[in-house]
Amino acid sequence: MKISDLKLIESLDCLQDEFEDADIAAGYTSDLLSDVMANAEEGAVLVTIQAHKNTVAVCSLAGVGAIVVCNRRPVPDDMLEAAAREGIAVFTTADNQFRTSAMLSQHLAGCPAR
Amino acid sequence: MRYRADFHIHSCLSPCASLEMAPEAIARQARKAGLDAIALADHNCAFNLPAFASACAGEGLECLFGMEVTTREEVHMLCLFDDLGTAVELGGRIYDSLPSIPNQPDRFGDQPIVDGQGNILGFAEKFLISASGYGVGDLPAMVHERGGLLIPAHIDRAVFGIVSQLGFLPDEDFDAVELTARGDPALARHYPVVRSSDAHQLADMGKACTLLEMEQLSIRAVRESLWAR
Repeated sequence: MKISDLKLIESLDCLQDEFEDADIAAGYTSDLLSDVMANAEEGAVLVTIQAHKNTVAVCSLAGVGAIVVCNRRPVPDDMLEAAAREGIAVFTTADNQFRTSAMLSQHLAGCPAR
Repeated sequence: MRYRADFHIHSCLSPCASLEMAPEAIARQARKAGLDAIALADHNCAFNLPAFASACAGEGLECLFGMEVTTREEVHMLCLFDDLGTAVELGGRIYDSLPSIPNQPDRFGDQPIVDGQGNILGFAEKFLISASGYGVGDLPAMVHERGGLLIPAHIDRAVFGIVSQLGFLPDEDFDAVELTARGDPALARHYPVVRSSDAHQLADMGKACTLLEMEQLSIRAVRESLWAR
């Protein structure tokens, strides 16, 4: 599954699509960025409610290629600008972190619910 | 003159602080602890700053007016001012941005607003430990436009410090960073270091402090003294 495949998922809206279309290796769900930095896998998609430019900085360091912001948290422009510079995709969803993680987990396993 | 300063003290307004932390008791304790300058910094609220101003004036103690803002990222940031009205105005904005979650005194502690004699005037209704609506990147402009100092609090702690929350210390327009008594100064990178007690009870006041060379306490004098080191 590639990052561009996330654009096909109905519950996700892409806010920043200047990204390097890499394979998604894993998912990581966390709202503590020091934890993301320490434990997220290279090539992961990050599920979080931390919508600010420092999230992009941490994802860049951790090798995370896509961010999904949950609960329709407002995403500031400076976050999207930073993500465009770093080539990291940013998506928004109305779902919470649990539902989003469960949904992405099914997609990553190749058997989405619908 | 060399000031022993403790710029991070909570009053009884903070639900996690002891009810003994009335502004007049804080001002008296500052004298006992040998402090020359103190600042009140309650969580996301400035409601006890007027009482603190009168209590310090009563003791002839120099002070700054602050608050410890919780950002959207749940990072604790000290905002310090030498003008009471300015601090109260910003405190109002911060409080207004908190979610409308009421405090539960039985579970979290009371949030009394007091006068300079320790009389209870009322209670802060919103739960002050919630996160404000402002981010780490919003505060430098908000504080500096108002002539204040912005200092990430206890950056060496495992919780609610900027390093624990973000994973790193970003390049922002911070005036200094705060360490606890034994925090590693290497964490501060190029920023000046202040040390404060973060006292939630009287006995802890002054257990960590910052030595500042100043003629008289003001935001400008603190900034100059910090960057001259």
